[in-house]
Amino acid sequence: MTLLAEPRAPAGGRGSRRAPRLAPWVFIGPAAALFAVFFAYPLGASLVESLQTDERGESVWAGLDNYRRLLDDPLIPKALGNTAVILLVQVPLMLVLALLLAQVLNQSWLRLRTGYRIAYFLPAVTTLVAYAIVFRVLLRADNGVLNQLLGWIGLAPVDWLHDPLWAKVALIASITWKWTGYNMVILLAGLQAIPREQYEAAAVDGAGPATTYLKVVVPQLRPVILFCLITSTIGTLQLFDEPFLLTGGGPDNATLTPIVYLYKIGFEQLDFGYASAIAWAVVALIGALSLAQFRLLGRRR
Amino acid sequence: MPPRPRTAAALTAAALALTSVLTGCGGSGGDAGPAQNVDADQLKGTVTVWSWDVAATALQRLATDFHALHPEVTVEVVDVGYDNAEQKLSVGLKSGSGLPDLVTVETQQMQSYLGKFPKGFVDLTEAAAGYKPDMDPSKWAASSDPDGRLAALPWDSGTAGLFYRTDLFTQAGVDAAAIETWDDLIAAGTKVKDATGAKLLASDVSGGVGLVPMLMQQQGAGYFTPDGKVALDSPAALAALEIVRRLNDAGLIHNEAGWDALVRANKDGKVAAEATGVWWSGTLTTEMPELGGKFGVMPLPAVTPGGIRTASNGGSGLAIPAQAENPDAAWAFAKFALADAANQTSMMKNEGLFPAYLPALADPYFAQPQEYFGGQEIYRLFTEQTAQIPAVTYTDDNAAATEAMKAVVSGVVLNGKDPATELAAAAGQLADTTGRERA
Repeated sequence: MTLLAEPRAPAGGRGSRRAPRLAPWVFIGPAAALFAVFFAYPLGASLVESLQTDERGESVWAGLDNYRRLLDDPLIPKALGNTAVILLVQVPLMLVLALLLAQVLNQSWLRLRTGYRIAYFLPAVTTLVAYAIVFRVLLRADNGVLNQLLGWIGLAPVDWLHDPLWAKVALIASITWKWTGYNMVILLAGLQAIPREQYEAAAVDGAGPATTYLKVVVPQLRPVILFCLITSTIGTLQLFDEPFLLTGGGPDNATLTPIVYLYKIGFEQLDFGYASAIAWAVVALIGALSLAQFRLLGRRR
Repeated sequence: MPPRPRTAAALTAAALALTSVLTGCGGSGGDAGPAQNVDADQLKGTVTVWSWDVAATALQRLATDFHALHPEVTVEVVDVGYDNAEQKLSVGLKSGSGLPDLVTVETQQMQSYLGKFPKGFVDLTEAAAGYKPDMDPSKWAASSDPDGRLAALPWDSGTAGLFYRTDLFTQAGVDAAAIETWDDLIAAGTKVKDATGAKLLASDVSGGVGLVPMLMQQQGAGYFTPDGKVALDSPAALAALEIVRRLNDAGLIHNEAGWDALVRANKDGKVAAEATGVWWSGTLTTEMPELGGKFGVMPLPAVTPGGIRTASNGGSGLAIPAQAENPDAAWAFAKFALADAANQTSMMKNEGLFPAYLPALADPYFAQPQEYFGGQEIYRLFTEQTAQIPAVTYTDDNAAATEAMKAVVSGVVLNGKDPATELAAAAGQLADTTGRERA
């Protein structure tokens, strides 16, 4: 604002002084209006909704009742526990895989690099429903492709989607399949931003490959890894599509996530007040976790 | 710079104003009054209807006939798919927009909608008063709110029976007529599986409630007592759960979720039977005509010897959302399709939908041998069974009870948990969240 308004004011009269002040508002106006309608309003409305409950079709004020219910609901710890397992197993697994792949695909000696990069990235652009259906076919208990493969190497078939433990494994595998390539591309971009000179300088100083990797590559990549970690954490806490389409949150709530639970409460049990409270609790949790990760990994120089 | 905060304030005010405008039209309300019987020459415009599968096919067919009678009215039937229908309707009722003029609602869901959205549907009580004596009374009650206001015109009954593959049973040397209880059926199913490789039935026991509500209803029990107390942990529920667990332990359940999977398992001969509503006959004849002559029907096996051998599974009604744009024409079409013996009979013949409109049952078709079912008079059987369906109470917390039961079923059947403990825990939890007493 100061940049626009301060210089060369004297020539015009009062009218011309006003014009530059209006301009920024004209430019941000459309975006602000869209933000208000599609973001601020739903956000505010859901906050209000979370403080209300439904009595015979009328929304009545419920204060913090919905939030209190969160604390007593045994399915909330269940859903959070499932999320924690995915967070602790799937996210590190995926990021390590993505880092390894990015490292390999960043080597200049590798032929057909672009082809590999596209191949690994492709799952990220696959339509969710299509990929879930394909996974369901692959994982079918009676004649699924995976069980047929297991049969050929002499192993017993696994009831992938109906056994509480294996359903989690199947869920983790499918998320990893879909999102590893996406994180790989981001890490690859980070790797390519590291100047060649630094590798050369490290080599001149007598650093081997391991030292170069730990002392040059990883520190430079830290903000990118942090970005991947935070977006993956947010993605995990918001996990819905995969469990909803693969297992519906079952069996025995083994793949229930907070958002699948939110959906069931809101759209199957029609309790939108409690569903909104779950949504805000998830927002708070994401905020806290992101902040913690940022504090732990972000500020170090 | 003074203008800045002012503009910001103006923007905020605009956003707030917009918010209040938007909130103003939220909620489930609409402005359509009670349904009226208007003269035919006043009807015009388009009536949009949501339905699914064979029900959508039936309405599509009748829409053409209706248009011939009322050239000013066009009926558009949208097949929203069974798996999505409930959610689409919930969203529309909650947001107060987006619903068509006429919606198909499964009868056991009606009380949930009426409880959560008492103003969500057009009141049909007066307009439909003349049809009350001719409708299946249990359907009429299930489609009315606690004050007796009718919100959906009953369509078809979901009288349950056991559809089975006569060829597979014969191949295994099983005499269907000798099966009287679920114990007998488990023994028979094991023989069929050993002889043919086909499992007994397809059911979703990892994400659904499977056969539990039907088995409970056979014993006269629902998730709630008639006075609305939570009865998830009744002895009937325990017995039902026990049967499902034994079916699964014997390897007789083809466990897969969704409508398409159910149809495919039957079409591919992966299962030898299905315990379900009479409307299944319509799915069999339309989806798998190549299996004609290979199916038979018998009453459901009883839970205990001499017990009731039927229950209700599915069956629907047509309701007019309060937000409908053309409620008069929608009502005219609903009564044309459902409160008319000839049209109801035609839906029985063509789509296998068993009428809740009783005068239709007088049609000779219901006593005729059915070629698809090897010449068996299956609809005579269902007509007799319909009168024996025990009434159960659904309440507006039926969806929450169903959700609780889903976890119990998968926990007990697939995860080996103790049925009594799980049922008691689920009942306690449901009582807490719904504020209802436990029975």
